[in-house]
Amino acid sequence: MTDGTPAPSERPRSRRAVLAGTAGLAVATSGCVRQVRTVVNREAVDQLSVTIVTLPADGDREGIRLAREVAAVLEAVGVDVSIDMRSNEEFLRAVLINHEFDLYVGRHPGSTDPDFLYEALHSVYAEESGWQNPFGYANLQLDDLLEAQRRADGEEREAILAELLEELAREQPFAPICVPEEHRFVRTDRFDGWGEAHPSTRLGYLDLEPGDDVDRLRTAHTDARISENLNPLTAEYRDYEPFLELVYDSLATERDGEIEPWLAEDWAYDDGTLRVRLREDCRFHDDEPLDSGDVEFTYRLLQDSELGGGESSSPPPRYRGLAAAVEAIDVDGDLDLEFELEAGEAVAERVLTVPILPEHVWSERAAPATVRGVSVAQGATEAVTTDNVPPIGSGPFRFGSRTEREHVTLERFDDHFTRREGVDLPEASVEELRVGIDPRSTSAIELVNTDGADITSAILETYVLDDLEPAQETMSLESPSWTFYHLGFNTRRAPFANARFRRAVAGLLDKDWLVDDVFHGYAEPTATPVTEEWTPEGLAWNGEDPATPFFGSDGDLDVEAAREAFEDAGFSYDDGALRVRR
Amino acid sequence: MDGEVLTRVLTQVAVVVGLLLAVSIAAFVGRDRLVATAREWRPRIRASAPAFAVLVVVLWLNRVMRQAGPGISERIGLHMTETFYDLEGEFVLVFQSIATGELTAYFSFIYVYGYAFLLIFPGVAYFALSETRTFRRLLTAYSLNYVIGLAFYLLIIAYGPRNVMPEELTVTMLYDNSPEYQHLTREVNRNTNVFPSLHTSLAATVGIFAYETRSSYPYWFPVAAVLAASVAISTMYLGIHWAIDVVAGLVLAGVCVRLSGTLVGRRPIARLRRYLDRRPASPDDRE
Repeated sequence: MTDGTPAPSERPRSRRAVLAGTAGLAVATSGCVRQVRTVVNREAVDQLSVTIVTLPADGDREGIRLAREVAAVLEAVGVDVSIDMRSNEEFLRAVLINHEFDLYVGRHPGSTDPDFLYEALHSVYAEESGWQNPFGYANLQLDDLLEAQRRADGEEREAILAELLEELAREQPFAPICVPEEHRFVRTDRFDGWGEAHPSTRLGYLDLEPGDDVDRLRTAHTDARISENLNPLTAEYRDYEPFLELVYDSLATERDGEIEPWLAEDWAYDDGTLRVRLREDCRFHDDEPLDSGDVEFTYRLLQDSELGGGESSSPPPRYRGLAAAVEAIDVDGDLDLEFELEAGEAVAERVLTVPILPEHVWSERAAPATVRGVSVAQGATEAVTTDNVPPIGSGPFRFGSRTEREHVTLERFDDHFTRREGVDLPEASVEELRVGIDPRSTSAIELVNTDGADITSAILETYVLDDLEPAQETMSLESPSWTFYHLGFNTRRAPFANARFRRAVAGLLDKDWLVDDVFHGYAEPTATPVTEEWTPEGLAWNGEDPATPFFGSDGDLDVEAAREAFEDAGFSYDDGALRVRR
Repeated sequence: MDGEVLTRVLTQVAVVVGLLLAVSIAAFVGRDRLVATAREWRPRIRASAPAFAVLVVVLWLNRVMRQAGPGISERIGLHMTETFYDLEGEFVLVFQSIATGELTAYFSFIYVYGYAFLLIFPGVAYFALSETRTFRRLLTAYSLNYVIGLAFYLLIIAYGPRNVMPEELTVTMLYDNSPEYQHLTREVNRNTNVFPSLHTSLAATVGIFAYETRSSYPYWFPVAAVLAASVAISTMYLGIHWAIDVVAGLVLAGVCVRLSGTLVGRRPIARLRRYLDRRPASPDDRE
């Protein structure tokens, strides 16, 4: 049956009778056609039914548990919920590329600097694919603040960021849940120097001091994606793994939140202009020289993966925010470049952390990708879709070999600038770095225990941490963490476009309790997605969420209060079900 | 590293299954049959070669599809995890209430070693029979299980209970208790291949064959029945399959055994020859 529009006269009698019945027999027979229309032409307001996309336990044990807890509280307030589990790359494809979700639960790579929020939330990115604004969120006031903090430095920037974070906490385009601790398990009898640099960055694997006769660093990595795809621009296959940073240099590198020279010998910032000088005589792994042309090319490619060849620009799904800060680049000889930036010094230096790609390899990849028999979305250039095997970079390690879902082996690049006399930077101290894929935290730990690996390079799942038993040759390594779990809203879809609704949903989360229950206490609940250093006083965790306090206590939701919050936000209940117009 | 662990696990499995085979061949097959087999193995192999070749092709296909499968599934497959979870809820957790260390060890052993033995031994036992039809039917039933199972794996994307309820299943979950086994199972399966349970269907196939051949191998039937039931339960106990997968596995086993009876004739070479001569088969060639 249709929505009950008046039946045409040629239709059989019985059908007309049924229609009349649904519209209300008395009304129909009284002849007040107008009233019939006003009654039946109102669209039914249905129970809200949503899908939470997340990873299965194999991909993210905490993620699926969080998703189930979120589903439980949503069901308690009368929402019909189903959970859609996807593998790592399918999950990111659904969320970042195709925006096929109502809600998702996952880990955000975050950053030591809050500027990542520019990429994550600026409204001009709402239509793009990638880490740039997967929420489809648009707020002009926030846009202004995001732009202002980029241009500012020092205390001025801090003040803008405080305002920005307050606005974010009020708007909840996504609900930050907690910052999980980062633990890894390492062997200490073969290498010294663990933890001097963060093991999710390149420096964490350079300058380790190998023992005598040790020329091979072995990691047990629980995520197989690094063995399947080595493209730094493919969002679905990348998150916090450091190995591509070892293959691709960037102009600058981060250590403890500070930006230090790397491929760039030094730089000078002056009012929106950044003059950069490259190190002399650097080469890519295929022996082609690396010069300022490659650097300029890289930033152009990061702004438009078709290099101006398409109808409109199609930026890749990673490094979007950083590349967008670059207004223009002037190349001055082989070694000098001048960046015109829409950014203050703090963000300008961040811009230097993107991987430098060889122009002679990537220039031909700036064409729309072709996959036989599949129609490819606009903007999906080969630069974004290629698996990039073998990767040709200029970094301290070069690609050696790989077997999918088994290993990736890197070899030391002996010509790297860090190995030169007079360059005082951490260098590759071993001839070979083997990333062995081992899909579970428990067995990765076992490999370190039995001298099969030197480090569990991916972040360990929190459920194994209680049972971690460091012995004489092993230890547990804790590192600062800036990744965070969050509940992402697709604000393109009703009712998540409504900030009142999002706030009510955020109030269903007992972050303190989730940290204890799901993360075994190895996480910090949070109301804001930035590191502690940047958290304004008003948003610091004080035993409860300062932005969206939980409706209840100790994990017990006060269903009455929660439902009232939804009613106060303008939504209604019928028969216990939350009704929403979609 | 990972390769070494796999080699170690494979060696372990080979040794244990080898021992079990040696004992059970001595106990169930017996000297007379072995002597006869030593004498007649050539014609038996000739008769069984087509069925064997089909199985080899199917296993090869299974291997290829493990690489290509996820890409195809992503395009045409249906996500069913939530449906299964809605249908049966936390049923598989009933096994958690009876879980003990010994039971976990038993079911882990069954899932890996017992299962491998259960599949291989009938191959030996039925090859040792004077008629080759049972052996050919067994191989055909195995092939059917894999082919039909594979088709379902392409169409239905579902994660098992361990991926949905990791915390509740921590105590008995196979890979947490014995992480080394994941290297083995990873070689033969993907974590979205749960419906139907091929462990269950192949074990049940062996069980049904054991019942049908109980006049030849009277003592094998009870052993096979216990093992097959244990395999089916182990898949749920260890958090790998839903009860729905197990039920579907049982149905699949029934279908495959039935089909193998229809497809496999009593005198294949003669039938083949007649078929090539384009003469209709005589009624007594049919099951």
